[in-house]
Amino acid sequence: MTKDGLEIRAVTKTFEGLTALSDVTFSLEDGKIMGIIGPNGAGKTTLFNVISGFLRADQGQMVYHGKDISSLKPHQVVDLGMARTFQIVRPFKSMSVFENTIVAALSPRSRRSRPKGVKSDETAMNVLGRVALDHKRDEPVSNLPMGDLRRLEIARALATYPQFILLDEPFSGLSLKEMDALAGLIRNLLDEKCTILIIEHKLKILMSLAPRILVLDYGKVLADGTPAEIADNESVIRAYLGRRGHAGVDTTN
Amino acid sequence: MNIVTRIWGTLISRPPFYVMAIFLLFMLLVPFLTDDLYLIGVLVLANVYAIFASSWDILSGYSGKENFGHTLFIGAGAYGAAYLNLYLGVPPMLNLLLCGLIGAVFGVLIGIPCLPLVGPYLALATMAAASIAERLTMILSKYTGGEEGLYGLDPITDGPVGDYYLSLILVIITTIILMAIGYSKQGLILRSIKEDETASEAAGINTTRYKLVAFAISAFFAGMGGAFYAHYQMYTGPSSLSIIMAVTIIIVCMIGGMGTIVGPVLAAYMLTVSNEFLRSIGDLRLLVYTGLLVVIVLFLPRGVFTVILERLPRFGQKSRGV
Repeated sequence: MTKDGLEIRAVTKTFEGLTALSDVTFSLEDGKIMGIIGPNGAGKTTLFNVISGFLRADQGQMVYHGKDISSLKPHQVVDLGMARTFQIVRPFKSMSVFENTIVAALSPRSRRSRPKGVKSDETAMNVLGRVALDHKRDEPVSNLPMGDLRRLEIARALATYPQFILLDEPFSGLSLKEMDALAGLIRNLLDEKCTILIIEHKLKILMSLAPRILVLDYGKVLADGTPAEIADNESVIRAYLGRRGHAGVDTTN
Repeated sequence: MNIVTRIWGTLISRPPFYVMAIFLLFMLLVPFLTDDLYLIGVLVLANVYAIFASSWDILSGYSGKENFGHTLFIGAGAYGAAYLNLYLGVPPMLNLLLCGLIGAVFGVLIGIPCLPLVGPYLALATMAAASIAERLTMILSKYTGGEEGLYGLDPITDGPVGDYYLSLILVIITTIILMAIGYSKQGLILRSIKEDETASEAAGINTTRYKLVAFAISAFFAGMGGAFYAHYQMYTGPSSLSIIMAVTIIIVCMIGGMGTIVGPVLAAYMLTVSNEFLRSIGDLRLLVYTGLLVVIVLFLPRGVFTVILERLPRFGQKSRGV
């Protein structure tokens, strides 16, 4: 067993008899990116909620950097360096862009991780610069379009100095230009040895980013492999893409 | 003094602080403008309500954890003051501090079981806690004096004007500290909890700890206010624990504007004084008073003073952050 990365072993989660996750097992090495796809209701977001401490798994074990994270609270998971974003954005509505970000910069993890002498204000401005929101720092978030709100989610995650980021459909609701910018940001994070787990329905952009894809269906791992393997996998085609669906998936770029 | 400069640094760029400062400075002059002891008495009551309302606001207005049993902390301070003064001879001034601490202990004791509760469940649990305490004063009447309460506490100053100034000084201390907390980074975190506790946790914040500290701070000032009130009246009874008072405090905060500290303080004066002046119209008083409240809640749901305070320009663009 390695002390690196994230190991998910036989994780099961049920909601009143409905199985949301069933015996999910995979591992992800540090600095790598893995995509997660699956039809609606396949358990993708539930998996994120279980990993990030918002839900407790019924069974199974989750180990990050040799530490069991199965029973940690969300803020403790962040403290270990794992941050997440939400599929449905969750800004602090009455607060400005800057104030939204500074809350994360005030977390114990952020205070501990930043260089000595750097203040929380500077950390917040820094991450807002990275997601190109610094020019809107004083705007109330109620004024922001979806693309900005998605980037604000990511800024808030980045302000906690994560080594591991869970992105839940970060590309949804973005324009083509915004998608390019976000893909660039994700590549930068990978260059900085950040580990990324990303749920995304936009397969083209996902496959261009992630050399490895995990497919969930009815809470089970259906396939785990390269985009090409996934696209050729019979059961994946049947469950997720539809019988003839893979014709629509362009894996070449 | 590092802490003093820090508090001052937090407040200096905030217009609401100046509104509060000007208002309270004016209140310092009131005894020179009138020798109507009845009016002074009404204003002492307003001072006490200003402490109760602002201390409720730092927990519930900021973090959104609506506490319907603030009177538990007030009562803890009031009864605490009575016991300490009557049985141990603790002087009133020292009681203000000690009963604040008693209140804070109650805040933590109530906070720990209540914090996992959300929405109406938290409201009901805190209301139940205060009701139980009120009931206990009857059941344990041998020790609490039952409905009669406890009499004979030492007066805290030598007269109405002294009481007025002491209570006003307590308001000033309380509001400076609570506003400084509200505008600090801790205050910002409390606001983030009110907006979206899940997102706040996801940002790495131990929300439970912040809420618990807010409970303790809120209860400290409530306990201190309760102790003052007990010494001022030289008496304490079950009315200091009544649900009606708990709800009145919430109404004061709603009318003034939750999460602003200034709003609830100004509303405490507005409502206490108008309530007294409406006595002149006799039986119609309650009708006019509650009608006024309904109109305000309907048309200014975020509070009378919030609308004004938010339009004030901020001084100094440099420290626009936090």
